Amino acid sequence: MTFTDPHRDELLVMVENLKTRDVSQRHVDRLRNQCRAELQARTRRNAAFGTVSGTAFRRFIGPALGGAWSLAYLLEVIRRAAAVYGF
Amino acid sequence: MTLSRSACSRVMTQMNRDDERSLVARLRAGDIDAFDEVYGAYRPKVFAFLLRMSRSRTVAEDLLDETWLRLVRHTRDLRPDTRIGPWLFTVARNLYWTYRRDSLVEDTYAPELALWPSPAPWPSPFELAAANELERRIERALSALAPQYREVVLLIAHEGLTPTDAAAVCGMTPEALRQRLSRARAALAEKLHDTAAVAALNRGYGT
Repeated sequence: MTFTDPHRDELLVMVENLKTRDVSQRHVDRLRNQCRAELQARTRRNAAFGTVSGTAFRRFIGPALGGAWSLAYLLEVIRRAAAVYGF
Repeated sequence: MTLSRSACSRVMTQMNRDDERSLVARLRAGDIDAFDEVYGAYRPKVFAFLLRMSRSRTVAEDLLDETWLRLVRHTRDLRPDTRIGPWLFTVARNLYWTYRRDSLVEDTYAPELALWPSPAPWPSPFELAAANELERRIERALSALAPQYREVVLLIAHEGLTPTDAAAVCGMTPEALRQRLSRARAALAEKLHDTAAVAALNRGYGT
């Protein structure tokens, strides 16, 4: 920290030296176990998907499927419209 | 549980960038040991920040749980250059402000609605647990600060974030943060009454 006013620095040093608080050991362990379980579950889920991971689906497969479906829908609309007008 | 400042070092806050990138990469891969490292280093810091912001152990514990669960739910979304400390403090801060907004809305008849809440007229259990008179005074003065001031003082002075990181956590420019920090320090000095008291307290603290 670089502060220009030495008196004001003292204030921040006093704040800096305040004790760090923590939760009870039971809470620490419970939260750690909960997070570990969540992390492991996510890792397993991602492994089960293999190459079709959430990221790959969002970036490539999802847009490709959506685009293909939209194109097919559009072509069908045009075809039916053309049929109505006798083309 | 209380840790001294020396016991809970600032190493992780100012971690080597290469080490931090490696840690983030391991987290993204779902490495439990990487999570344990981050959890051990940052949990007390994040909790202390939330405790002093919320002034309630129960609220701070709930927000702490949610902060860590957010981390493990978003490990795959972390960018390779993510700074772990600022990321955690950003989540914790946002959770605190969401909680604060919700409680203000719920507390429709609160006379202080839309104003800064006054500090409790009686010492909280947290204050009573403070090790000595100086700490108690500083805790009380901090507690009486407006939350916007309190958060910048805590992030910069207690958690050791750089002004740039603290500005990113608070969603403001570094220059705006410096100005707010300056006002916060002035307000803190005012809360600690007069300079003589501060000097006397400081002497007592240093020896």
